Amino acid sequence: MIIKGGTVYDPTNGIFGEEMDISIENGKVVEKAKTGDVIDAKGLLVMPGGVDAHAHIAGAKVNTGRIMRPEDGRRGLEPKTKLLRPSTGYTVPNCYAMGYRYARLGYTTTFEAATPIIESRHTHEELEEIPIIDKGALTLFGNNWEVLECARDGDIDKLAAYISWGLRASRGYGVKVVNPGGGEAWGFGGNVTGLDDPVPDFDVTPREIIRSLMKANEMLRLPHSVHLHTNNLGKPGNYATTLETLKAVEDIASSMDRQVLHITHMQFSAYGGTGWRDFESKAPEIADYFNKHDQFTMDMGQLIFGSATTMTADAPLEYANARLLHAKWSNHDIELEESSGVVPLSYGRKMPINAIQWAIGLELALLTESPWKILMTTDHPNGGPFVNYPEVMTLLMSKPKRDEEIATLHSLVPKRSTLATLDRELDWGEIAIMTRAAPAKILGLKDKGHLGIGADADVTIYNLNPEKIDPSKDYKKVKEAFSLAKYNVKGGEVVVKDGEIVSLPQGRTYWVDATVPEEHALRVEADLVDKFTKYYSIQKSNYMVQDAYVTNPMVVKAGVI
Amino acid sequence: MIIEDVLCPFCGCLCDDIKVEVEENQIVGVKRACRLGSSKIRGHERIKAPMIRVDGKLVETTYEDAYEKAARILLNAKRPLLYGWCSTVCEAQKKGVLLAEELGAIIDSTATVCHGPSIIGIEEKGLAGSTLGQIKNRADLIVFWGSNPGEAHPRHAQRYSSNSQGKYTPEGRKGRKVIVVDVRKTRTAKNADKFIQIRPGTDYEIISALRMIVAGKGDTLPEHIAGVSKADLEEVAEMMKSARFGSFLFGLGLTHTRGRYKNIDNALSLVAALNSHTKFVVMAMRGHYNVTGFGQVCAWETGFPMSVDFSRGMPYFNPGETAACDVLGRRETDAMLVIAGDPASNFPKTVVEGMADIPVIQIDPFENPTTYLSDVVIPSAVAGVEVEGTAYRMDGLSLRMKKLVDSEYPSDEEILANILECVRRLRDDN
Amino acid sequence: MREIVITPLKTFSIPIEAEKICPNIVSSLALKEIEGIEVWEGNRKMPLSDLFRISGDEGSTSPEDTLISLKGDFSRVKRLGEKMSAGEVVVKGNAGMHAGNSMTGGEMTIKGDAADWLGREMRGGLITVKGNAANYVGSGYRGESCGMRGGEIAIEGSAGDYLAEHMCGGKIAVEGDVGDFPGASNRGGTIHIGGNAYLPGAEMASGTIIVKGRARVLPSYQLEGTVGLEGMTLKKFLGDLVDNGKGNLYATSVE
Repeated sequence: MIIKGGTVYDPTNGIFGEEMDISIENGKVVEKAKTGDVIDAKGLLVMPGGVDAHAHIAGAKVNTGRIMRPEDGRRGLEPKTKLLRPSTGYTVPNCYAMGYRYARLGYTTTFEAATPIIESRHTHEELEEIPIIDKGALTLFGNNWEVLECARDGDIDKLAAYISWGLRASRGYGVKVVNPGGGEAWGFGGNVTGLDDPVPDFDVTPREIIRSLMKANEMLRLPHSVHLHTNNLGKPGNYATTLETLKAVEDIASSMDRQVLHITHMQFSAYGGTGWRDFESKAPEIADYFNKHDQFTMDMGQLIFGSATTMTADAPLEYANARLLHAKWSNHDIELEESSGVVPLSYGRKMPINAIQWAIGLELALLTESPWKILMTTDHPNGGPFVNYPEVMTLLMSKPKRDEEIATLHSLVPKRSTLATLDRELDWGEIAIMTRAAPAKILGLKDKGHLGIGADADVTIYNLNPEKIDPSKDYKKVKEAFSLAKYNVKGGEVVVKDGEIVSLPQGRTYWVDATVPEEHALRVEADLVDKFTKYYSIQKSNYMVQDAYVTNPMVVKAGVI
Repeated sequence: MIIEDVLCPFCGCLCDDIKVEVEENQIVGVKRACRLGSSKIRGHERIKAPMIRVDGKLVETTYEDAYEKAARILLNAKRPLLYGWCSTVCEAQKKGVLLAEELGAIIDSTATVCHGPSIIGIEEKGLAGSTLGQIKNRADLIVFWGSNPGEAHPRHAQRYSSNSQGKYTPEGRKGRKVIVVDVRKTRTAKNADKFIQIRPGTDYEIISALRMIVAGKGDTLPEHIAGVSKADLEEVAEMMKSARFGSFLFGLGLTHTRGRYKNIDNALSLVAALNSHTKFVVMAMRGHYNVTGFGQVCAWETGFPMSVDFSRGMPYFNPGETAACDVLGRRETDAMLVIAGDPASNFPKTVVEGMADIPVIQIDPFENPTTYLSDVVIPSAVAGVEVEGTAYRMDGLSLRMKKLVDSEYPSDEEILANILECVRRLRDDN
Repeated sequence: MREIVITPLKTFSIPIEAEKICPNIVSSLALKEIEGIEVWEGNRKMPLSDLFRISGDEGSTSPEDTLISLKGDFSRVKRLGEKMSAGEVVVKGNAGMHAGNSMTGGEMTIKGDAADWLGREMRGGLITVKGNAANYVGSGYRGESCGMRGGEIAIEGSAGDYLAEHMCGGKIAVEGDVGDFPGASNRGGTIHIGGNAYLPGAEMASGTIIVKGRARVLPSYQLEGTVGLEGMTLKKFLGDLVDNGKGNLYATSVE
């Protein structure tokens, strides 16, 4: 296949709006294709397929969201067609809608943000049912008893061996850490209040947990860095914890060509004030830190007004949300490993807190100089559903659009955030970085997010001419174009044409197989045998995710050298 | 040959430590399972071959004939119902949802006569829960409400609840208190530290009273609420508030009494309120070993966990309108497929009478009262014994069932796939 | 007033979904076009004329000036008058589930009985039932926090369980008895019950429920005193106190 004459943005390879052909063969980008279809992309915007580094798309939490929200299920209904199964849901779509909607947006890879090891079978059952996109899942390690014990003992070798085992057991791709220590404290209804607040009964602090996991992660040379949801997320004044966390690990070096720590949905961790009354944005402080330090990355976690379903392993946060908002509350604590909560809610333009939160996400992106350091996400469906990505993209590209939105919000916004004063408008290249090139680099997916020779042939063609359209003025047209790809080519196959799904290939599931010295693997084994005998409610031999649940794997090797 | 760590295909406990001895493709020994599970694993008299009812009598036929006949019945129907699903693996349930979609049928599980009300309660309030291992390791207070695991979930107490031992509960039963609330003194109640007997149909009021006491508003309550003394309820509330980790486990006694889903709704709120005093979780004591699995599969595939009506090409969920008992009770369904369930035994009489007037297709390894109402009977392999696959425990944890012996019978999944193929072929022919 | 008359051609057993039988949809259509309107019998789609005889006045009108007369047994015909904003629908017989759901205006009269979910998520307009109504009158959809928000429902007979669950506004009057849990989780609106009720106002946050007959009142309701209302002496309760509710419940006698 040849995609001819498009205006290509491939930031990884230094291409910003060049008219060129993309040749594809056997699912890969090649120098020149020998035969094949020709897609005429003249005068159209061409980018690599979208890569979503953080969304909650599969697993127990997501399904809990569906089960408790039939009122969400009845939104977004699309009947079955000859090719497609029915779609349901807005904030918690069914599996088929997930795949179809990502594909229509021009995305080709999405990573599930958090899977607990013992419930990863469920995560994979759902991932298997999501059509088209390539996927992976990040495994939760921030509250596991074995992790806490290794961190307490400073035993990084054993911790690395446990991570290796845990990734294999969960067929996971990377190390996810959520409110480290707090999830275990929540086992008896408690939480941790900061980096140095010890976890009850484990004599280890969140600081030690984070540092140990990062060291082990780098020892294992995993493709992705530790992916962190900070302590005190969602609390006024928490920006201090965020900065403290970053400072706490400045000395740790990455073992790979990437960041050493990725902080996720930073909007929720960039709060000033001492309570809800004086709540304000600290995005400038956070962005400033990131501008001065190159070893850290983040993603936005942008709010979208309207219905959302919050779901996170930060269970104490969800309990607090539910009490504050008088909302439905689901909680699920997972033996020896994690906890989680799901709370449906609605973000309102006239609610002062929500309006400021909305501003913070955008502020972070506009104040961070390098788009390589900040990804565009909504922490779907916590900030809002991913179908709203084009809304976020156009807000970043257009000051007039932002001004129009701010005019509809609660009047506190200009007083509590600098957003209204920011003139910066991101261009096509910067958007391509934030939604394709950077997420792929941050995740360590070397064949994604770019269109160089050897890359996966995931290509999006949008129905707009980047040379002729001014995204600052014509943001409505841009949003429309980003919402329905003219073409989505996945692995060299056309999956979307003129906004319609035309093919349903099965995506691959990325997971990391990391090797460690046998000596440490055996020590972990001994600990596990002990824990399964005494504490787990299932047998060790039934624990690991079996091959049957990952039918199209893409195994990435890593390990201690 | 001993096969270790086998999963039991009987109840929602989904015990995974069973040892099964197999000799020459026969199961000759089962260890550790309770007698309910052991009996299921050992198996009993099977349906020998597919059958079709001819002139009122069931006559043996081939699988191909049976698939064809089943497909015709389902295609001709304007409101077919696909029911059961609780005693088979997720792989079969997925095929069922696909079949329902393509037929424009209603699909529903045995939750309709079991914990369906719990699901509706969860839709009102959410569920503050945990895995069973959390209860084992942390719970120093267990409340069984309208649940009698002593008989329905025999190994629950030892493995997960009252008698279990864990990291923070090394003393087992001695280190915890057990409260039972029920309409009669059950086996479980006999082992309780506190038993409250209540009059049938008064659960809602008593839970409201407990919520008042927990919130410190007990003074406004009368001395007796629905025949239960306030002093008793105050004692229960105090035990709950002073627990380090309390758990509220409920069963059909709460879902099937007057109030139904409102009872669950109220109980879920009680547990949520208790969380402002101490740690508390709630758990629905699911009956069949994979009824939870059906809810999960149906939810991720259709957006809803049960009672899904595909008549108009997209999922429509409205229990009270689209549940199996609803459509059968109103005589508004004109064909039924029963798989891994036994409605003739478990449905109310008037509903079963509805089944007698319509063509019924049964897929099951074993004969049961539903067989006598069936027009097409298709024997299948026993999931979890002869077929491997996925099941979800009552707390939502998924595990893989093992295949212990070979079987000549096709699996549920295969049978459904074949029926679907016939449906597609017949539909294309038209 | 343009009158369109619709009569069933047979007795239905498989339910029919006829949400297009609504003044807003038919008012501008010729009778022949109305015959072609899509309707569903179970999973089969067909034109209205396959199942009903259509007769009446020709000539396009506005919805306000349209009367749809449904003559016969419509007890298995669902979603009649769905989302109507004006005009009249009269059912000379029984009506099926979800009659008048989501309506914002106009009038629906059911001479016989109404099935479950009458006036679900209603926002305006008037529904009158001469016979009895079933469960979930004026309630919401599962999981939603609001059901009926406005409008009026008047039932001359009795009603079933879960009347006005999640009501946020509007008015419902039932002359006879109601079943279990009327006015559950309410956040507004007025419910008037001529007969008896079982555990009214469970988890009510605000709103008014008047039970002229006998009520079994929740222990979480607090007796405030007695009041005279409409010529009767009623006990006044505040509740549902389980969640600091400030609803008003009135009952003549308490079980």
